[in-house]
Order: sequence, then C-alpha cells, then structure tokens
Amino acid sequence: MNRRTFLQVAAAAPAVLSAEDRKLPKYRIVSHFAPAAQPGMPGPYPGHLVSVHAEQSIDVTTEKPNGTVVGEMMSRGMRALTGDADVRDAWARFITPSDIVGIKVNCSGAPGIMSTPEVVAEIARNVVAVGVKPDQIWIYERFQEQVNSVHYDRYVPQGVHIWTAETSRGSTESYDPATYVETTFFDEDDTRSNMIRLVSNRFTKIINVPNMKDHGAAGVTGCLKNIAYGSFSNVARSHSGTVTNTYSFIGTLASVEPLHSRTVLQVMDGLRGVWHGGPFSPSRKYRFYPKQMMFGTDPVAIDRLLLDVIDNKRKSEHALSVWDRSPSHVNPQAGDYENNPNVNHFVREPGHIEYAASLGLGVYDLDKIKVTKIEL
Amino acid sequence: MAALFLAVLLPTLFWDQPADTAETLRKAGIERLYVPANQVAAWKKSGLTALPFDRDKASKAAAPAVEYRMDVASATRIPWVDANGWRFARDPARSYFYDVSKGSAVLAAAEAYAYGVEAAIRAAPDDLEAFARMLKFLGAIDQPRLPVKANIGVIDDGSAAMGEVLNLLARHNLLFRVIPAPDPKYDLNIRLGAGEFSKADLADPYAFAMRIRRRLTDEKRLLRIYGSNVVLALLTGDGGQARVHLINYGAATVKGLRVRVLGSYARGKLAAFDHEKSELQDYSAQEGAPGNSTEFTIPEMGTYAVIDLTSP
Repeated sequence: MNRRTFLQVAAAAPAVLSAEDRKLPKYRIVSHFAPAAQPGMPGPYPGHLVSVHAEQSIDVTTEKPNGTVVGEMMSRGMRALTGDADVRDAWARFITPSDIVGIKVNCSGAPGIMSTPEVVAEIARNVVAVGVKPDQIWIYERFQEQVNSVHYDRYVPQGVHIWTAETSRGSTESYDPATYVETTFFDEDDTRSNMIRLVSNRFTKIINVPNMKDHGAAGVTGCLKNIAYGSFSNVARSHSGTVTNTYSFIGTLASVEPLHSRTVLQVMDGLRGVWHGGPFSPSRKYRFYPKQMMFGTDPVAIDRLLLDVIDNKRKSEHALSVWDRSPSHVNPQAGDYENNPNVNHFVREPGHIEYAASLGLGVYDLDKIKVTKIEL
Repeated sequence: MAALFLAVLLPTLFWDQPADTAETLRKAGIERLYVPANQVAAWKKSGLTALPFDRDKASKAAAPAVEYRMDVASATRIPWVDANGWRFARDPARSYFYDVSKGSAVLAAAEAYAYGVEAAIRAAPDDLEAFARMLKFLGAIDQPRLPVKANIGVIDDGSAAMGEVLNLLARHNLLFRVIPAPDPKYDLNIRLGAGEFSKADLADPYAFAMRIRRRLTDEKRLLRIYGSNVVLALLTGDGGQARVHLINYGAATVKGLRVRVLGSYARGKLAAFDHEKSELQDYSAQEGAPGNSTEFTIPEMGTYAVIDLTSP
C-alpha cells in the first residue's frame, strides 16, 4: 500500500447546509492512509439499495429469528444488489480469499436488540464460502459488556474472532495513536478520538451490520453511526447537556481513511427495531419488528430510508418526530426520556445523514435513490 | 545549568503508634519515619530512623482521590479529582501533612514526590507494605530535580478563588508556575486586573481556567494527556532532558495512555510503579513545525509513572 500522510482540516459546512443555525466544530483529521481508488463508501452502488422483507423472518412473540429465512433474505438481497445469479459471485465482488474481514456489529441495545447472531452467522458463512478462512474474520464492537450477552460464538464458524476494543470501559490500548480526529466540543481535556487499531492496521475489508434504531442524540442510528462511533474511541464527549455534535461528527469519523475505503458492504439488520429510547433497549416497550434487511454499499441511502422507517413508526405511536427541535421538548434527565416518547434527551440531529452525503459518503436525495424491494 | 537543580525530598511515613510497633514497620519495609516529638526517645531503641515531626505546624494536604459526583452538573462529565498539586505550586517550600484513609497513602507519596515537597504521610496500617514499595520505587528513580516546566505564569493574589483557578489549571494539565510578577519567558501571564482577567471573573473559576486554556491554545500546551481524565501530569526539564510525572488518581489501572510533550526528544524511558515491565510504545518525535512534539503510549500504569526524555 502506498502510504502518505494527510493532515486535513475539515472544511466548513457545505453550502447546502449553511442556513442552519449550527456552529460546527473544527476537525483535524490525522491519518497516514491514502484512500482507495474507489472507496468502499459509497462504493460501486451509490444511491442503490435492496430492501428485503420476510414476514417469517422473526417470531415476534419469542423474538427468535428464523435462520433459514434470514439465509434466503441475504441470498436474494445480495444477488439483487449485484445482479449475479450465484450468491457466491455476489459476495466475491466485495471479498477475496486473502482478505482480513471485520464485521462491525451493534450490541449497544443487547440483549434486546443487536446485530442478530443469525444474520452475523450468515454473513460469516458467505464470507467463508468465498474462501476466507474463519480465523481471518473478526466480529468487532467497542464494549465487551455489551457483547457478552449475545453469544455470537454459538452461531459462527469455529475460529471466527469475537473481539471488543474496550474490555474495561475507557481503556485505550486497542486504538491507533496515529489515526484520529481531533476536536474540542465542550472544553474536554481529551480532544482525540482514535480509530480502532484493527480497523486501521489489520482489516482489509469491513462489513457493517447496524440495526434499525431510534437514537436520542443522532435521531436515528444506522449505518453511519454504527461504523463511525463504533470504530473510534472517546466519542460520547460529543454530547453534553441538551447539545449533541452528532450532526457533523458522525460523517467526519466515517470519512476517515482507511475506514472510509475499507467499509465495502452495508447489511442493515431490521428484523427487530427500536422506535424510542435508542440506542438502548432495556424493555420491549419500544421495540417493533420491521422484518426487513437492507443491502447496499451506500450508507447514506440506507440511512435515508431508515429515517422514514423510524419516523413513520413514531408517528403511528403519536410520538415526537425525530425532526422535532423544540427546546420545550428537551429534558436531559435520562429517566424522563426513557419513559416518555414525547420527550427528547438532546436536540436530535437526524441531519447528520445529509451532512455525511455532503462529505461524499453517499446519496441523500430520495429522488435519486433506487430501492429494489423484495418480498419473501 | 546544574545550579538550578534542586534538592529532592522523599515523602516520609508519619506514625503515631507506640514504639513497640517497630517490628510491624520493619516487616513492611519501612526504615525511616516521622513520629511526634514526644515519642522520639521511645523509638531510639527500635533500630529505625525516627525523626520528630510537628503535624500542627505543617500545612494540611487533602487526601488525594477521585470522586464520581453524579449529582453535580459538569460540562464534560469528568470525575472530580482531589489533588494537591496546585497547593504545592503555590507554596512549594512548606512542609505538608497528609492524614489519609486506607488505600490513599501510596498516591499521596507519589503526589508529594512528583511536586518535590516535604511531606509526612499518616498511612493506615494496611497500606504500610505498599507505601514502602512506593518509597523503594521513588528511591530507584530519584535524581537531582530538574526545574518545573511551565508556560503559564500566574500572579497569585492568594485568594481562595484564585486557588480554585490554580486547582483547575493543574486538574486540566495546563502547566503553570506561580510567579511574583509578569515574566516574558511565559507564553501567557495571568494577572488580575490586567487585560481580560478581572477579579470579578474569578466568580466562575472554571470559566476563568478555560479562558486561559483558549488564550494559550492547545497547540502551545507543553503536555497533553489522551485516554484518561484522572491522570494529572507535571513536567520538569532543562536543556535536552525532561521528566514527565504522571499521577493516576483513579483506582483502576490506566491502559493505553497517550502523552504528547511539546519539543522533540529522541528517546524516552518509562518507569511505572508496580508495572516494572511496562515500556513506552508507539514512540514518535517530530522536529520543527508544525509538529515539534514527542508522543508515546504507556501500555499500563498504576498510581505513578515517570518518563525520562532525552535528546542528543
């Protein structure tokens, strides 16, 4: 790999968003990695995604997914995305046998909601089918205590690594000291967010597996937030009081090399969803069951659809829109937010998805997004 | 520059229990201690070096600790650190007395040593062994003390409010010295009533300290810590050598702490208390603009670590 040094001060907000009354922090991105000729995001299918719905994909009483149906959803979705008749060919467009593959799961809501083990196992199975050895596959997440309850090891091929960056909260030894975003949000002392070392120095490809979730700060949490906040240290500092900087921080982190180039596939696991209180899900009260998965390479396009999935569900539950910015609805007391869908914890920033589009991470305009829908 | 080297003081155990406890101390590894003056005679036969110490004449140092105050609003949700560095910087020539509860004596010893003040530490009996181990560690790393490095000069009015500003500067690793009058060798001189810093501003010490930070700019800070908000630092140095003192006020081992020191140093050597095998990782030294800095990672540290930096 040709390695060069990039020291980049992020530009001010793009013109399309200049009317927003929002003060953007200055970001200094430090990375020694050059972008790929075609970065993984938005990849070969910008503005194109496949949405597969299967009524039998999950038992809503037991919340138990149907592995066979999940396998079929994935096969149909990947073939429709690529146009390949053989699912192995579809996966081979993204993964080669020599790759070291990171699978970025989301376990912040576990055990209520997480990247479903059946989905992750099916991804691993397909990656192995391409010729990748199990010990070249790493399921990764930031926090050990969130992964503990999921037991991926019971589902994935033997040899697949299940790894977390912080075995104890706040430990930073698994992050790359040379790859980071530096910024000050609230006069915090530690102004750096460092990329996970495996992401920068080991993985050659990353598959992103988010869930369909509401998020108290970002509005929703989907592809962009999972890959961004889930691959860097010290990101919770972006929220304080009623203010969150997720608007610009999520896209900025996702655009850092080599994360930007190596994240080659987005598999949105929407078997379960959370319509309020996310990213956590301590009770079933706010869970729902979209019974769908989305496949693509464009995280912005998928998240643009996710916005409507979550907001429509909230509307049907007579809850505040994710777009509501009224200060009168904001109460930073966590208990109120968790118990009342008409209270916000922060002024939500669903605009982070459009901002990410302005950084070149994908297509935001619904009129320019092509959705291939499959019903099983 | 040898004339600037200052004498180094090792902290000392203060023990007010009877002389018949000498064997307990000896077993723990304590050889030298302070006792109340009226007990010195009784300790003479113990074989230990017992010196008189009048705790009432010493300045009281707070028990160093971290408090996680969930009920106190904080802009950055950082824990509350009770530390004495600001107090020592204000009056380094005084003797200090720590009366600490179980578990804090080792931290107190590290703190007092790092700042080079004379300190008597009344330790809990359960802490004696660890305390002696810390003294042994300090003895092993001890060297002639280098001058404190700082680029913020503070003309201290002696008020409690200014004391809190000094506390916050130390808390946020904004390296300062208390000076009698403005000195152009500092990047920033803070004097109340001069320029933008008024006495009324002291009503909000946090805002005051953060304004100092912004005026200095993070780029000019002599030392930065990444990866912990309970590790406080002190920097000493002269010419081509520097010593970084890192004091971990938290109970947990800190892993992967990243340190940035302004200036390029070719080599660094780590000594970490209770982590003898720990070595600096990911060391980099950049000369000239815009970097002109040295960075390294400490894989693991407990209560105290010292990094000696040298340039050719």
